[in-house]
Amino acid sequence: MSAQPAGPGQAPTPATDELRQEFRTRVFQVLAQTFQAELEPADRWGLTVVLPGSRLRDAVAFLRDSEEFRLDMMVDITAIDYLGYPGHDQARFAVVYNLKSTAYAAHRLRLKVRVEEESASVPSVHDLFAIANWQERETWDQYGIAFDGHPDLRRLLNHIEFVGHPLRKDYPARKRQWLSTNDPLVAPLDARLRGRGFEVLEGAGLNSPTVEETGLLGKPSVEKINVVGRHK
Amino acid sequence: MGAAPGAEQQTESVGTADPGVGIHHQDAGFQQQGFMTTTIDAVVGWGRKNSLWPFTFGTACCAIEFMAAAASKYDIARYGAEFIRFSPRHSDLMVVAGTITYKQAPILRRIWEQMLEPRWVLSVGACASTGGFYDCYCTLPGIDEVIPVDVYIAGCPPRPEAYFDAILQLQQKIQDASYMRDRQNRTHERIHIG
Repeated sequence: MSAQPAGPGQAPTPATDELRQEFRTRVFQVLAQTFQAELEPADRWGLTVVLPGSRLRDAVAFLRDSEEFRLDMMVDITAIDYLGYPGHDQARFAVVYNLKSTAYAAHRLRLKVRVEEESASVPSVHDLFAIANWQERETWDQYGIAFDGHPDLRRLLNHIEFVGHPLRKDYPARKRQWLSTNDPLVAPLDARLRGRGFEVLEGAGLNSPTVEETGLLGKPSVEKINVVGRHK
Repeated sequence: MGAAPGAEQQTESVGTADPGVGIHHQDAGFQQQGFMTTTIDAVVGWGRKNSLWPFTFGTACCAIEFMAAAASKYDIARYGAEFIRFSPRHSDLMVVAGTITYKQAPILRRIWEQMLEPRWVLSVGACASTGGFYDCYCTLPGIDEVIPVDVYIAGCPPRPEAYFDAILQLQQKIQDASYMRDRQNRTHERIHIG
């Protein structure tokens, strides 16, 4: 029999091997029947379930809301690039979702969706888990996998002038990319200040010079110093 | 230290254990009246090197070691550099302690440009000096790609003693610089520019 769920402020019942095994059996049974899930045989330590992309959102919503499983925490979203992987004959990419429960210590599950190189997209789950917004942005940034329906699919870690997706296996390992502007957040900050009724002074130190203006790129020079506003 | 009245004329270093200042006098009576002679270069260098105001650009564990170096046990105040500022406009020593990415490089450069001259840069640890083991798409292979560095510190992270060794080297460098020659060059530049 499974453990009792932990209430608010309570620690969940400690996980045992029996509880883990029992959870895996039950959850795989349900996923296989309802969402055409298959077992990932490469996972020999936990449970990884391969889903078709079209059933992903239904499955995530079900697992989150189910009283039985309560997988209410999206720990991580990432991807795998199988390019050059020995013996791999399926789609090039896989997007991986790590779920766990805050009520049952034994409930941990990994979902995997295979993604072809041509389409390179999966449905977004940002409306099911708020944290998925940034996790999907990071996966887009590093692997170039698009999340359909994502409201704000911008790069998260790499700078705004970066070209390509560095964790793809065919990204040149020694390639370096310079950023030419010293603060891309200044323009949005100015806009936000104006939106709140502040007056932003032109040329008052917040307008950043570009890298050419500052003489960056290995040529230190002190000729051009940023003009700064003065206090009254 | 002081010569007896009526002693012969002599030349000796007095007034400080600091060899760089090089205060000399020719006349013992002159010194007894509270005067000494020296050079502008020696005095300016002495003042600059003993009142460094560090600005910490700390991004990784090297900054934690800098905290240890600055706090009471190791006590960076012994070198006159304890007044740590968090504004580049108040400081003259930039301590780049940690990994710098390509995303940060233009920001580092801009902050360095905001410091008033004279200014110096310490490149602390493997990452700031060379990129360290982050030989990858995102990490700058050494901050000297964007700003000039005065002293590099080895280590991952360096111990406080390494910081002090670097500060002593930097003090020697500051003492060896010539304020008067720099001033003359600046004046010439102004005349050329018109």
